[in-house]
Amino acid sequence: MSELAALQRDFGAAIASRDKAAEAAPIFRGPPEAALERLAVYRGNVVGACTKALAGAYPIVAKIVGESFFEGLAREYLRRFPSTSGDLNEFGAQLGQFVARFEHTRDLPYLPDVARMEWLAHRAYFARDAVAPDPVRLAAALERDDGALRLGLAPACALLASPWPLARIWQVHQDDYEGEFSVDLEAGPERILISRPRFRVLVGAISTGAYRFLERCGAGAPVAAALDAALVAEPEFDLGTALAAWIGAGVIIESGEGI
Amino acid sequence: MDPVGVGLRAVHYEDFLARKRDVGWLEVHSENYFGAGGYDLHVLHRLRADYPISVHGVGLALGSAAPEAGGHVARLKRLVEAIEPMLVSEHLCWGRGFGRHFNDLLPLPYTEEALALMSARVAQLQEALGRQVLVENVSSYLEYRASDIPEGEFIAELCRRSGCGVLLDVNNLYVNQLNNGSDALAAMSAIAPGSVAEIHLAGHLVAPHCVVDTHGDRVAEPVWALYRAALERFGTVPTLIEWDTDIPPLEVLLEEARRARERQAEACCV
Repeated sequence: MSELAALQRDFGAAIASRDKAAEAAPIFRGPPEAALERLAVYRGNVVGACTKALAGAYPIVAKIVGESFFEGLAREYLRRFPSTSGDLNEFGAQLGQFVARFEHTRDLPYLPDVARMEWLAHRAYFARDAVAPDPVRLAAALERDDGALRLGLAPACALLASPWPLARIWQVHQDDYEGEFSVDLEAGPERILISRPRFRVLVGAISTGAYRFLERCGAGAPVAAALDAALVAEPEFDLGTALAAWIGAGVIIESGEGI
Repeated sequence: MDPVGVGLRAVHYEDFLARKRDVGWLEVHSENYFGAGGYDLHVLHRLRADYPISVHGVGLALGSAAPEAGGHVARLKRLVEAIEPMLVSEHLCWGRGFGRHFNDLLPLPYTEEALALMSARVAQLQEALGRQVLVENVSSYLEYRASDIPEGEFIAELCRRSGCGVLLDVNNLYVNQLNNGSDALAAMSAIAPGSVAEIHLAGHLVAPHCVVDTHGDRVAEPVWALYRAALERFGTVPTLIEWDTDIPPLEVLLEEARRARERQAEACCV
């Protein structure tokens, strides 16, 4: 290993873990005690930046567990899943998986799914802007569809099914929410659609038919096949009404083949 | 062009979108605009119509001994092609390796090995982007025993070898002088006048064990004095007021920008 790589290995180890700081101190000028104090400043900066990034991606998880608990959780998460990108907006992808196994949040069984929802919303915020299909052309394409027509899901859109009322949890934690702060955790399973009509990310509960239709379209299935799947799940599913709403909300886009 | 700019931060988007503000240009952290779409990129496209933009990277960690990670340069290139900034800059630092990214601007030892690596990486970056890049001196709370080249000479040699320009952070020179006893004026005098293409000014925090480069306060008086010396040596180059923590109302940044403009007027008329 080169001298530069060895210095960075020791410095990096001291930032990652306080236990390694004493080994790294001698590579720096001045008394070791001073180097230990300065290494602690770097350690604090790194933990602070990652905690801030994580709280930015997971504002609802942070509100649910409280600020000081979240700091401890972030520190543990960083130890298990360190950042691997120079873009901190990519840090935190595994928080849902992490809190599912985190013993100190076992009394919050809905927290992993809240985290999964927030990561999808975080990614949606940065996703490519979508161009909605022209409703008149889409209607004509549906009219003459022989079973081959495909539609796509906008890049900012995502689906999530959960035993917990995620859309309600999302709603009551929005900064501009003014209604009653109550969530019925026994409300039953829920399917949600994450979308970004323009720049603000929205989360809403959708029906089983709508969920199946969007899921199949997103996987590349033809509209006719997706509709069949939706109708099996929900015989009353009305594609016309759903499509009108989705076009306005930037959910549906043309597939690569056009319409 | 008005040579004084401010860092564009999300809390000030509405201020800038509402009306044209009295500031010459804006600088953004590249990584905040790495998304394929969304609001931040939308705002940047709007503001580039009214202000020259400088794209300032914090994530490439160019001096890392670890092999370069794919993707980051490609995303920077996409942003640079979309925004066509007046300046593109990164840092003289490392920050990546051993399976992780520290997301911090960690100082390099000033050795021939680090100089060779930085020069090659900066040259590759300029090649990928098809333009010159400025490299910024960072603040440092520690000094390596291995360092055997003074900071100013290291930067000057990096410019000679790679053809890069310098983004001179005057606050960082001052912070290092307090923390490590280095000589800010000596560092400046080692750097050729024509190579400095941008200056950064920011506030710092005097903490018990060291001076921390927080970018969370007004520019300190001794830093203004060093800025004056920098203007005398390097001329009136684009200067940025940076503020990243405890960000105040935009008016405070614009006041600092006015102060920088006053210093420039004084320096040019001596």
